[in-house]
Amino acid sequence: MQASINKALSSQANSQPSTPFAEGLLLPQVATATLELIINKALALNNNKAISFAALNQKTLTLALAELSFKLSFSVDTGSSPAMVMVRSQVDTSDCTIKTSIKTLKKLKANQSLTQLIKQDELDVNGDIKIAQQFANIAQSLAIDWQSELAKHLGDVPTHKLLQFGNKITKSISATGKQIEADICEYLVHEKRLVVTRSQVSAFNGQTTAIAHEVTAISARIDKLFAKLAAK
Amino acid sequence: MSSSDQNPQASDLPSSQKTAADADTSADNSVDSKSTTHFGYKTIEKDDKISMVAGVFHSVAKQYDVMNDLMSFGIHRLWKRFTIDASGVRPGNKVLDLAGGTGDLTAKFSQLVGREGKVVLADINSSMLNVGRDKLRDKGLVQNIEYVQANAEYLPFEENTFDIVTIAFGLRNVTDKDKALRSIYSVLKPGGRLLVLEFSKPEHELLNKAYDFYSFNILPKMGELVAKDGESYKYLAESIRMHPDQETLKSMMDNAGFEQTSFKNLTGGVVALHKGYKF
Repeated sequence: MQASINKALSSQANSQPSTPFAEGLLLPQVATATLELIINKALALNNNKAISFAALNQKTLTLALAELSFKLSFSVDTGSSPAMVMVRSQVDTSDCTIKTSIKTLKKLKANQSLTQLIKQDELDVNGDIKIAQQFANIAQSLAIDWQSELAKHLGDVPTHKLLQFGNKITKSISATGKQIEADICEYLVHEKRLVVTRSQVSAFNGQTTAIAHEVTAISARIDKLFAKLAAK
Repeated sequence: MSSSDQNPQASDLPSSQKTAADADTSADNSVDSKSTTHFGYKTIEKDDKISMVAGVFHSVAKQYDVMNDLMSFGIHRLWKRFTIDASGVRPGNKVLDLAGGTGDLTAKFSQLVGREGKVVLADINSSMLNVGRDKLRDKGLVQNIEYVQANAEYLPFEENTFDIVTIAFGLRNVTDKDKALRSIYSVLKPGGRLLVLEFSKPEHELLNKAYDFYSFNILPKMGELVAKDGESYKYLAESIRMHPDQETLKSMMDNAGFEQTSFKNLTGGVVALHKGYKF
């Protein structure tokens, strides 16, 4: 840790009139400000009162994602009411630092083992893993009633109608998508004969296996005959 | 002020005012002689500057935040966020937000230092301090913030008190910048750092010209429309031009005793963040 601080200090010792592109455009600050706004808005809308930040007060979780040129550090301040999550792009010290990629985070979400990912060098954890787990638990426990939030702005009846309409549209899009998929399959399989059906592939595989067995049997018989001839 | 003062060319100015770099080569980098200093493009008696600057900020205090958002298109929030990121602030730190005005940096620092830490919002101007105090109290930020009316040249704190001192868009209004830097150095703990966020010199000539046009033609009109005070915003544009450029301010920090001084240009050098350590 001390080495990294010294390195950071010495790298800052020289003036840098030509600032890196992303930094000059303040992209890390745009990203952290947006994230901070979204997270705190979500916390303000949360209906699950069981969520507690007490254990995370003044703790920092840092995410170093391979896809980003800067880190994302999440700190909690329980002094504010409600508790606030602050997002920064640089921190000197962190209670838990996770080096990974967005791809790996998706794997984690799909319940792939944490240990397995660490063994595969897809994930590197430094510090107290409990901090990361507590942050993840809070994110998973958020309960936001979007319908009542929308109703506050639009009114009950328009919100109900809007959601009904939304559901209809979603179902209709889903049905249309399935129909288009079926039509394309039919065109490719039966009209153009560019691809074969699953049953045809399976029949072909069955026949191939049968032939392979027959060839093996014949080969064995030939070997026997050769052996007999050699004995005479 | 005459109309020719609104957008003077370098040749229109007294030789000592042509550029900030030209003007700031003396031991006291903000003065032409021992008894005079700049107020925008005007040369005034040193003793008058505090009251003249105070007049500007008393006038704009209530509209300060709105004008900041309008003038910078909201980018000042990102510059301040960059400053927080670069400060390396930790829970338990003591922070002095000098010339803290309406308390944007104080609000963030207060949340980051936690209950064990402390943030002092200091400003020479009582109107700005009052606006800042009201704003922070409205946000529920009361537990670890103190308010002090103070002149940056004579900071009323013991030596080695603060882990971090920030001065955002305030140093150019200070009469004797060298004295202020020495005073800041004194109140910093060993290992502490100073961050100076201030308007500076754009890196590219084209941007410089566009920035000049905006500052001298559009900005005072916006000030007139929104804050009903075009003169104060004309002073703002002039004071930015008279402020030391990046390298000059860096050497001023070196001269005050700061070590490992560095700066980062933001938005093409329109603003620069200077950082220096006390060891």
